[in-house]
Parts: sequence; C-alpha cells; structure tokens
Amino acid sequence: MALVIQNLYKSFDGFMALDRINLTIEEGEFVCLLGPSGCGKTTLLRIIAGLLGSDGGKISLDGQNLVQVPAKARGFGIVFQSYSLFPHMTIAQNIGYGLKIRGVAEREIGQRVEELLAMVHLSDLGQRHPNQLSGGQQQRVAIARALAVNPALLLLDEPLSALDAQVRADLRRELRDVQQELGIPTLMVTHDQEEAMTMADKVVCMRGGRIMQSGSPRELYTTPKNRFVAEFMGHSNLLPVELVQSWLPNLLAEAPADTDARLFIRPEHIAIEQRDQAQGEVRAISFLGSIQRLEVAWHNHQVLVETSSIQPWSVGDRVDLSVDPSHCIWMSA
Amino acid sequence: MNISAPPQSSADRWLTRACLWLPLAALILFFGLPMISILWHSLLDDRSGALGLQNYLNLLDAPGIWRATFNSLLLGVTTTLCTLVLAFVVAYGLECTRMPGKRYIAAVTTLPVLAPSLVLGLGLIFLLGRNGVLANALGVRMEIYGYWGLLIADLLYALPQAVMILRVALKHNDARQYEAAQVLGASEWRQFLSITLPGARYGLLSAGFVVFTVTITDFGNAVVIGGDFQVLATEIYSQVNGQMKFGMGAVVGILLLIPSAASIWIEKAASRRQKKIGTSMVLPYTPEPNRARDIPCYLACTAIGSSILAVIATVVYASFIRLWPYNKSLTFKHYNIDLAGGYNSLWTSIGVSVAAALIGVVLLFLLTFGIRRTPGRQADLAALISALPVAVPGLVLGLAYVFTFNSATLPWGMLYGTAVLIALCNYYHYHTQGFATMMAGMRNVPAAMEDATSVMGGGLMRILKDVYLPAMKMTLITVGLFLFMRSMVTLSAVIFLITPSMQMGAVTVMRLDEAGFTSQAAAFSTCIMLIVGAVACMLHWITRKYSPAH
Repeated sequence: MALVIQNLYKSFDGFMALDRINLTIEEGEFVCLLGPSGCGKTTLLRIIAGLLGSDGGKISLDGQNLVQVPAKARGFGIVFQSYSLFPHMTIAQNIGYGLKIRGVAEREIGQRVEELLAMVHLSDLGQRHPNQLSGGQQQRVAIARALAVNPALLLLDEPLSALDAQVRADLRRELRDVQQELGIPTLMVTHDQEEAMTMADKVVCMRGGRIMQSGSPRELYTTPKNRFVAEFMGHSNLLPVELVQSWLPNLLAEAPADTDARLFIRPEHIAIEQRDQAQGEVRAISFLGSIQRLEVAWHNHQVLVETSSIQPWSVGDRVDLSVDPSHCIWMSA
Repeated sequence: MNISAPPQSSADRWLTRACLWLPLAALILFFGLPMISILWHSLLDDRSGALGLQNYLNLLDAPGIWRATFNSLLLGVTTTLCTLVLAFVVAYGLECTRMPGKRYIAAVTTLPVLAPSLVLGLGLIFLLGRNGVLANALGVRMEIYGYWGLLIADLLYALPQAVMILRVALKHNDARQYEAAQVLGASEWRQFLSITLPGARYGLLSAGFVVFTVTITDFGNAVVIGGDFQVLATEIYSQVNGQMKFGMGAVVGILLLIPSAASIWIEKAASRRQKKIGTSMVLPYTPEPNRARDIPCYLACTAIGSSILAVIATVVYASFIRLWPYNKSLTFKHYNIDLAGGYNSLWTSIGVSVAAALIGVVLLFLLTFGIRRTPGRQADLAALISALPVAVPGLVLGLAYVFTFNSATLPWGMLYGTAVLIALCNYYHYHTQGFATMMAGMRNVPAAMEDATSVMGGGLMRILKDVYLPAMKMTLITVGLFLFMRSMVTLSAVIFLITPSMQMGAVTVMRLDEAGFTSQAAAFSTCIMLIVGAVACMLHWITRKYSPAH
C-alpha cells in the first residue's frame, strides 16, 4: 500500500471543496481522479503534493504521516498542464534540476539525464531551450524531469489537456508504458473520461468534493452506482418508470420505491432491427466512423442506440428495439 | 497555527513572513507614520502649541492662503483643459492616423520627463522673458512671470503624462468596431464621434486628474516663473521656510492633499467601471491613410512637439551662450559652477537616486513577493497602503518627513539630514507606480513553475533564484531605472529635507536661478538632463532587446 488518504476534508471560505475523502493508491498503481471542473480533483492533488494544506484527515505514505511534511521534502514528482519548464535552462538542466537540488554529483546527473532523454525519445535535444520545443516535446521533458529523482509518487495535473489530439493519444500510451515499466504509483487528474479509461488501473469519479465511485474503468462503465457516474462515464439511457412499464414490464418488480427511479442501460446494449410497421422510428443519426449513434422514438420517449456502421440507417426507418435485462441497472434519483 | 496553510519548513515559513513584514514595516515607518505626523502637527497651534483646530480656524483670516487656493484651482482647471486638448491631438495623431514623423513626435513629447519641472520655466524665460529671444524678435513685451508663464510651463510639463495615458486609451479601441461602422456606412467623422471619442473618455478623465494633480502640486515652475502669482505649493514653502509656521504649513499640506486624493479616488472608481465595460480580446485598429486627417494632425503634432523641443533645447543652448541674449558667442564658462556648492549636489543626487532605486527595488520585490506568497489580512493592508503615496504631493511628503524625522529624542531622528532619508523619501514618493509595475510583473511568474520547484525539492531560496528572478528580471530593471530617473529630477519632495551640507541637484538649479545665475542654472539642468536622458535611452534599449517577443 503506497499512499493512504483517510477522512480528508478541506473548505474554502465555507465552501466544501473536499468532503471526507478516502482513497488508497497501491504500489505501482495508476489512479485517475476524474470529474467536471470544480469537483475538487485538483484540490485533492495539490493537498497530496503538499502545495495546499488540508483542514483535517490523514495522508500517509508507506505508513509515514505526511500532513506536516513540506512539499519539498515529500520526494514526489509532478507534471502540470503547461508552463512549468524553466525557460532560462536547457532541457538537460531542466531534467537534472531535482538531482542538483539533492546535491548529486555532476557526472551522475549527466548520466541520469542521458537515460531519461532516451526514455522519452529526445536524446538529441538536451542542449536546446524549452521555447525551441513543441508542446508535446516540452511535456515529455516535464515527465522526464519529474521521474529523474525516482519519485515515491508521480502526480499529473491534466498533463495532456493542452496538446493536439494526435500528440495527446501518442503521449497517453507512452506515459502509461513508462509508468508500468518503472512501477511508480501515479495519480492523474483529468476531466476527460476517455483518457481516464484508457490509462488508469483505477478511476476515482468525483463530484462536488466527494468521491461518487471508484473502481476499474470497466466497473465504472458497466456497473455505475449512481446516475452521475452513469452519465459521466459515457453515453447512457436512463429510462423513466413509465417507459419501463410499457416496454419491459418484467423488470418493474425490481424497481426501487422511488418514483423518480431510472433504469440504466448503455446504448450499445440495445439491439435494433428494421421492420415495416414497427412502432419505433429513427429520428436522428450521428455517424462516428466505426459506430453510429441513433436517436429512436420509442413508446413516446427518446432512446439512444449504438450500432456498428455496417448497416446504413436513415431517418424515418421503422425499427424494433430489444434489450438483455442482465445489462440493466435500476438507479434511484 | 493555521492548519490550512500548506506545510512548510520552519525556516521557509519565517523567510516568507519576513518578505512581507519587513517591507510592510518600512512602508508604515516611512510613509504611514509621516502622514499621521503631518495630520497631528496640523492640529498643534503654532503659537501656543496647544492641541486643537486653531490652525484650521486661522485659515479663515488668512487671505493669502485663500488667494493661493483660488489661484491654484484656476491654474489647475485651465492647465488641465488646455493640456487635454493638446495631448489628445498628439495621442490621436500617434495612434489613430498614418501621419509621418511619429517617432520624432513620440520622442520629443516625452522629453519633459527627463528634466526637473522648472527647466521648462527656465526655457520659457529664455524665450519669452524680459530678455527673451522670441519676445525680442517678435517685438512684443509680454509678462511671462505669473499666471501665463506658469500655465505654459505646467502644460508642457504635464503633457507627456497625459499623452501616455491617452495613447493607452486609444490603443484599446477595437478594429472590429470600426469595420462594423464602415459596413454600416458611417463616415470617418462619424466613426470618430461614435467610437474613438467614447472609447477614450475614461482615458480623458484619468489624464485630466493626473494633469490637475501635477499642476497644483508642482513646485519648481511656481518658484521659477510664478512671479507674484501665489499658489498653494509656494504658500506651503513660505509658511514653513519663510515664516517658520510649521502648523500652518501642515494645514496647507492637508489642503493640497484633498484635491489630489479626491482625483485619484474618482479615477480609481472610473477605471473600475471601465473594466466592466471593456472586452477582453481587442483586435488592434490599424488606420488607413487619409490625407484630410493625416496632414492637419501632422502639422498640429509637429507644432506641439517642436515647441517642447524648442523650450528644452533653448535651455541647453543658453547654457553655452556667453551673455544671453546680447553676446551669442559660445562658451563653457557657465559650466564652471562655483556657487551653491558647485557640482557636489549633482553627485549627491546621483548617489541618492542610486540608493532610492536599490532600496526601492529590493523592498518592492520583497513586498510583492510576500503579498503573493502569504495572502491574507496583512497582504491586503500592504496593498491598501501601497495605493496611497501617489495621492501625496512631494511637498507634503517632504514636510511630513521633517515632522517625523527632525527629532533629537526619537531613535529614527538620527536619519535626519542623511542621504538615506532623502533616498527613502524619493522612493516612497513614487512607491505606488513602482508597486503597480512590480505587481504586474509578479502576475507573469507562472505559478505552475513555482509549484513544480517545490515538489522537486526546492525551498524558498531556490524558488526565488530559479523562478522569480529570471521571470522578473525586466521588471526589476524597469522599476529601478524609473525610480532613479524620478529621484534625479524631483524637487518638491526634497526641498524640505536638504541641509547646507546635503544639497540635491534639482534644488541647486532653483538656487542658481533665484540668485540670478540663470545661465548657470541652465548649465546645471543640462547636466541633469544628460544623465537622466542616458538612463532613459538605456531603459529604451533594454526593453527593446529583451521584449517578450525575444
């Protein structure tokens, strides 16, 4: 068990930024804090880094209490979204900075910097300055700089958000590979659920200073515990009771007493079949390449359906819908 | 202990606090205390020493002060109106037209900043006075001493500051507004009335208040060219230095404080409103050539700029003339100044100005760094006090220093009569401008870099050395050179603080002029302008070389 957080809380001028957070990061685990802006994910990361104080609760690393330990003594590595390389230092000096602070001998620093440059595929650029590098290259340098000191924990604050789509996809994989190779426990903050799902061992979904659910990406996607997680982790249908009554009356028995209860089902778990005179009608189509997402009018409600792009659909097609009840989950309001 | 603050090592915690507390303490001691002191002394009766409002009541039967107040207001209002018109023409010409010679006009309209204010009065006397070359050539005998001379001198002195403010205001006009107006079919004149002028109205208001404050608090020109036209700035000097009525001097100082404080307060309120109106993204407006507009603008701007150049060049020229205006042969003899301590005061001025710049840069850097690192009540207090010095005229600050530090019993009394105290006075006189520049510089320091340094193991000293100093280098140089230049030319703040053994350059110019050695005063002024001009060129060169585009 690398990092353990117990009952951590924090408020700003009466606003509850973090409310009783409990979280563990295991040895070698990649954990993503996922949530909309203002959910407290960055606050949590800053408290873990020691850049912000907490109002109460415990943070410990391998059993050692961290609450009173200053940021500079925690031995972590951090990468921010942007602008965190020293503009007046070369790339090599940037990467060696943490080692220099620790008083490591020049020759040793040089060797380590060479290794790290090779690891992030920038071996020839050590003598350049940050403003001569592209955004993606600068972020690689920032990652190398954070890893130089063999951090006990790697913290990533939306590290890929400022980059172009293609660079971002490449760097996601690279970052994940490096992390797995070195086995460094890592905490990344992001608001991009796709990024969280592709990279993390464990996703922690937050809203309003609370953890709504945490678990593997698959767990959060297939069995969300509440409507927020269901909607945040991808497209979903949350069918109202009256629709279930007319379409899937068998499932009503398990419905919670709540009148605003909803039946959750992912759009790809709804089977769709074309049939003249069928009661469903395709209202809109978003074509997304490998798949297409259809809006279907069904029992006077809108239902979202995903299919492969193989079959061409058009607006106005009459369709029948069916579901496998095992993919449905009842959720209270 | 506040558990919510980020954990820090105790050395870092104390260092961070010292960064705020040290400059804050200095600000209170060298600005707050003097201001309280002058208020206190205004309540001490000059004759009996009793506490009360007697000095204020004495104002009622002091017709001289009333006349001076009236004169100051009259001069302030008329100078402000004239300056605004001319400054708007220059600013408009520079920002909104395609007239030629912009660099020349921009350069000459900033010249007066390089000189003590009274140099303009001096130049006017050489041109339009009893022996004025221009007056003689035109065959007119005009009375330059008094209202008219003061009006022209203050106008020329305040013009650069007004031009600077108006240029910024006009620069913020959005090109898309003009394009929209063109598409809608508005004429050029119509565009001027409905876009340019409304866009500049807060700039005009702000420039107006600055000019008004500069005019009613200027001491140099009032002494040199004011003649019998008594204004508050000269009144306060004669009350204190002539009649030794310190209490009365304090009262006049407080009177002088009211309009400048009010104008700064109104300007602040106005600029807050403007912030709400202004859009964040401005597409700069590039005017198309238009002869009907550009040629008149060019002629007007050249006339204004050349008048300023003429006045200042006359001072330089006259310093080399054997006997103005009768014997025009060139000579260096006026530079052989043996009166009033010769050039000693110039060296003192340079020393004091270097000290003011160094002290100011260090204290301002620590203060703004402290405010950023430890926000809270003390930081708010420091920011609040830092906004005040700009409202205090130099004369009032100087007098307040006399009240506070001219004391044999209090420990800080030993500072009185030293160069250090004058340097501190000059720095705090311009503290607000330096503070604003420094805060703007601080905002450019990326917070992520600071955080990254902490996490990598860097303490406060590392953060200062590797994050703040590199990012703030240009700001520190700019603030330092600004304080040096202002300290070299200011007269009003130091006039009360000099002693026979501790003279300042600007004061020497005034003394030489008072003693009738006008040509030597011109020579001395030329030396000051040379030094300040060299520093200004250096600043210009550095900012161009290291501009953000680099």
